[in-house]
Amino acid sequence: MFFFILTNNNSNKMFFLFILFFSTLISISSNSWFGCWIGLEINLLSFIPLISNSKNLLSVETSLKYFLTQSLASINFLFMILIKFSLLKNFDMNNIISIMMNSSLLMKMGSAPFHFWFPNIVEGLSWMNNFMLMTWQKISPMILLSYYFNKNFLIFMIIMNLIIGSLGGLNQTSLRKLLAFSSINNLGWMIFSIMISENLWLFYFLIYSMMIFMMISLFFLMNMYFMNQLFINNMNFFIKLNLLINFLSLGGLPPFMGFMPKWIIINFLLINKFYFLTFIFMMTSLIIIYYYIRIIYSSFMFNYFKMKWVNLLMKNNMSLINLSSFISISSMILSTFIFM
Amino acid sequence: MCFNSFFFLFFFMLINFFFFVYFIMNGLSVFFEWEIISFNSMSIVMSILLDWMSLLFMMFVSLISSVVIFYSKSYMNSELNLNRFIILVLMFVFSMVLLIISPNLISILLGWDGLGLISYCLVIYYQNLKSYNAGMLTALSNRIGDVMILMVICWVMNYGSWNYIFYFDFMKNDYVMFIISFMIIIAAMTKSAQIPFSSWLPAAMAAPTPVSALVHSSTLVTAGVYLLIRFNYLLIDMFFFKVLLFLSILTMFMSGISANYEFDLKKIIALSTLSQLGLMMSILSLGFPDIAFFHLLTHAMFKALLFMCAGVIIHMMNDIQDIRYMGGLSLYIPLTSLCLNISNLSLCGIPFLSGFYSKDLILEMVSFNSFNLMVFILFYLSTGLTVFYTFRLIMYVMINDFNLMMIYNLYDEDYIMLNSMFVLLFMSLLSGSFLSWFIFSYPYMIYLPFNLKLMVIYVSILGSILGFMVSNMGIYSLNKLLLSYNLSSFLCLMWFMPNLSTYGLSYIYLNFSQILFKNIDMGWSEIYSGKGIFNILKNYSVFYNIYQMNNFKIYLFSFILWFMILFIFFFI
Repeated sequence: MFFFILTNNNSNKMFFLFILFFSTLISISSNSWFGCWIGLEINLLSFIPLISNSKNLLSVETSLKYFLTQSLASINFLFMILIKFSLLKNFDMNNIISIMMNSSLLMKMGSAPFHFWFPNIVEGLSWMNNFMLMTWQKISPMILLSYYFNKNFLIFMIIMNLIIGSLGGLNQTSLRKLLAFSSINNLGWMIFSIMISENLWLFYFLIYSMMIFMMISLFFLMNMYFMNQLFINNMNFFIKLNLLINFLSLGGLPPFMGFMPKWIIINFLLINKFYFLTFIFMMTSLIIIYYYIRIIYSSFMFNYFKMKWVNLLMKNNMSLINLSSFISISSMILSTFIFM
Repeated sequence: MCFNSFFFLFFFMLINFFFFVYFIMNGLSVFFEWEIISFNSMSIVMSILLDWMSLLFMMFVSLISSVVIFYSKSYMNSELNLNRFIILVLMFVFSMVLLIISPNLISILLGWDGLGLISYCLVIYYQNLKSYNAGMLTALSNRIGDVMILMVICWVMNYGSWNYIFYFDFMKNDYVMFIISFMIIIAAMTKSAQIPFSSWLPAAMAAPTPVSALVHSSTLVTAGVYLLIRFNYLLIDMFFFKVLLFLSILTMFMSGISANYEFDLKKIIALSTLSQLGLMMSILSLGFPDIAFFHLLTHAMFKALLFMCAGVIIHMMNDIQDIRYMGGLSLYIPLTSLCLNISNLSLCGIPFLSGFYSKDLILEMVSFNSFNLMVFILFYLSTGLTVFYTFRLIMYVMINDFNLMMIYNLYDEDYIMLNSMFVLLFMSLLSGSFLSWFIFSYPYMIYLPFNLKLMVIYVSILGSILGFMVSNMGIYSLNKLLLSYNLSSFLCLMWFMPNLSTYGLSYIYLNFSQILFKNIDMGWSEIYSGKGIFNILKNYSVFYNIYQMNNFKIYLFSFILWFMILFIFFFI
């Protein structure tokens, strides 16, 4: 049922979804760099049919843009692999080749400074495709990044990710672009966690994808793509509350679930003496929370906006929304009971 | 709810009475102690000290509170939330009892803070602006005393426990005890409204009349005196007691004068309470704690009665409290005016009513022991002033011509209120003699020359004549002269102390904070943190958007350009 929704209610595309999952697994579990590249290519090839819908001109254009950028990055990746193993034959990570390999992987992920395609494409996709783009498509480039990375280059990229993710999102009104910039910001956190350990990255990634899923599924159910649509329909109190909790959790506010991975990453930052980087992490986080709260806070004030001529059809099954609120609120505290 | 609590408190009063008689006849005192926590060197204990003083005081408190609750069933019967009122009064009584029975500073603090807080809740009971201001004044003045007691708790930790009664004989010359005595005296002064802190007592008359009868006549304001009576062994030779003497006789004098200028019924009674409190504090600071206790108890009786009569009169006059609208009421409300007159005369010290025993004893002790001239003069002058304002009040309310404000509302037959007043009337007549037979196991030896002994009567007669003359309400009367405007306003407004302690203290700070607020909060810190940073970020974001909105091939080409730069700079 979930896969059915993922493929936009078109069960012919489930085949491509299946291959998409397998391609990531191929990419991360291969012995040689060549196998990685193969996985990346199959990923690209199977994602394109998922997002293209020949009846809609915007999604055709989007899939074309996606194809162009990703194939450019893959070509570069293959080229750098070949150069590395035929010309240089060394495993040292502090050379130019690692920078070039990392750049191509960063472009595949949609990380700054090669991120300009990302908001454009996200604007053209439906919510479920966005979910796949923001979560699943990041797995294999990240893991490949963790195999061979240049620390100084990556730190610079982290800073750029954070700043662009926070500053770019300030001026947006489309919810998809907002989540795109937030995704770029979270990529900064995730790249740093790769540099510490892969386990930490997995932890951050799982919690991030859970939060994104809760958020995107809410927007998908309400069919909201723009900020003005938040106020036209009369959401009842629990949906608004769920939205607020998810946004705050995504921004990393303490009692909610999203604080936990950020806290652990700050812990590792301070242990490894990245003091200035910590400062940048935290300040950009503040800007991100500002524009999350800006979206939802006015619907909670005493005089919130309420349309008198719209009746919202109340969803019969609120249990999913209640469950997601419960998970967001209590996960951090419950996890201390489990892992104590 | 009213009846239940009335019966409970009355029964409690009877229990206390029997225990009091037993304890004082056999010279017993019982000390219960329950140790709650003991850590390193201090132990938090909950102690209860039952000796004759605490039992007697508890008996009086429970009697007055039971009578007041019974009275308020009729007085506040139009109140929707009467249960809330009764619960507040009961909590107040509970805090008072906790204060009375505790020999331990922590439980005194609980009772003291409880008293302050609940009296605030009771003063703001009618939720209007005047009550709000009065409550704020009451709560903040009492808060100073709370802070002082907290600091005493800190300092007493030097001695290992908070049971202060064990340390008096041993630590008298210690520096720590010096500090402690200073703070205790200031705490008692705030609670009993002596001179620097006396502005709250007339203001607290914004409370309902049963609250005034219970709280502001007998229990809350005597808590300070009671604390000093308990600490008496410590304080008796200290310098601060002399300061307290000075301030309390000035309080007595000032409030006596101010009561003569007042026209609000409850404020006159409040100022008379303040005057008697000054009397209690001054006789305490002269070294006679048992006489102070005696006067505390008898004063509680007749002052509560006086407030209750005032409540009946206010109800009758359709909530007018101004005595210029009243007159000639003695013809129409005989029973209430009986209670009013007896309590007023007892206040003046008319022979053989209850107030006579305590007041006359105080004045004779002052004359018999040799103190300085100012003490002597101010004591007698204040006694004369008491009679002065009492007779003025009686003239205005009872004897002068009927002012026709209310004709058919002169209802004296409210037997709920009257029965409660009769209980206090009985006690107000008899408690003087009854207490003097119980408390003083041997009488004080007083030997005075004839005129000095009659000095009280001279001063009282002088005061009554002046009271009669002042209360003539003609326009051409000498006391309404505008020539003495400055002097009159000085004396009337309590020597400007309310203004000094409220407006005078806060003006500088509020002015300064306005300047700070305009220049910093709404000025520079908006540029440097609030709006300024927002503008910076917004400009950055707009600037970034220019880069974001581009042709697609620019993105691809920039990627290639990056690689070309890397290739050029590192492979050549």
